[in-house]
Amino acid sequence: MLVTETVLHLGPELERAVNRMDFFRLFKSLAGSHRFAHFGLSEILAEEQGLNLQHVHALHNFPLAWFDDPKQQVIDSDDPVFVYLQQSSAPCVKDTSENRSAVLTAGGSRSVAIVPLHAATGKRYGLIMVGEARDLDHQSLALLALDAALIFQRYFEVILSLDSISGLSDREIQIVRWTSEGKTSAEIAIILGLSEHTVNSYIAAVLRKLHVVNRAQMVASAIRSGLIT
Amino acid sequence: MSSEQSDNQIRILLVDDDPAEHILLQRKLKSAEDGCIDLDYVSDIGSAVDVVKAGGVDMIFLDNRLVPNNDFRETAPQLRGAGFIGPIGIISSDISGRYFEQFRDYGVDFKIGKDEIDGTVINFIINEYTQDQLSETCSEDYM
Repeated sequence: MLVTETVLHLGPELERAVNRMDFFRLFKSLAGSHRFAHFGLSEILAEEQGLNLQHVHALHNFPLAWFDDPKQQVIDSDDPVFVYLQQSSAPCVKDTSENRSAVLTAGGSRSVAIVPLHAATGKRYGLIMVGEARDLDHQSLALLALDAALIFQRYFEVILSLDSISGLSDREIQIVRWTSEGKTSAEIAIILGLSEHTVNSYIAAVLRKLHVVNRAQMVASAIRSGLIT
Repeated sequence: MSSEQSDNQIRILLVDDDPAEHILLQRKLKSAEDGCIDLDYVSDIGSAVDVVKAGGVDMIFLDNRLVPNNDFRETAPQLRGAGFIGPIGIISSDISGRYFEQFRDYGVDFKIGKDEIDGTVINFIINEYTQDQLSETCSEDYM
């Protein structure tokens, strides 16, 4: 089991985090170490969208039953938790019984910690932790917010910042090259000894980096820019 | 995902030399929201390769150290060599070894400590690794 204090301040698990699963584990561990059973992290987009927990970079372990529409998984824009994230940059702990949050009330939890986060690019994210930790004191909240910022910074370095990097990694170029040869994701997975999921993850990252929407456009863009010949 | 099964049914293969882990994981799967999980179990990598070759497995939970094999660096490539292209997750009571940093180089998708697994983790894994990450415009028909 991850032990947050050891992990975060000494660093090994944080330094070894390389994919979304690892960050899910780290945020879950952080929440658990402060007696919060559930957490959610997502980008704060336009006001009318609320906090979309199905956003491409969102992570959460909220039960689907908490949402009005499990397929959407959104904390509405008029929810007090979302309103707080929009209006504040300071972490806080709130009593859910006084908070009237539709999603969190549905979960029957007693308290929610709200931690606004900022990526180096200026994008704003919100981390919500839900559970029983009603009596979180000032020092514990400060530590939780610091640890959340450390994990988020690593998440930014490893996952979020890739969207704004123009170059492709060796593996991504390899996959674009095989795609240009007409290979499917499943075939590339067999060739490279990876899962189809991993191959598709690389393709999704390349699509974002090259600002294209499909495989043909991806290959054409890579040829035009000299990434492959 | 296997075309032999319904859209919602997910078949997970647990490869672990300790049969007790099978029972423990079965209990944890019951606490997950997604009730459409079939859990199969084998105790060695040779049997796992046979099951994979027979088809129908969507995901593999692979114990890090399977006696008499070494760690996942020896076993995971055997599953890939057998043509398995679904997600492989390494589960272990201790994932602190530095060699875990290289898990992706061996065809592994994720790693997790056995004591970290609960219903919410299983839900996340299912959502993360069985849903299509690419939009319809990126389907292979567009190539």
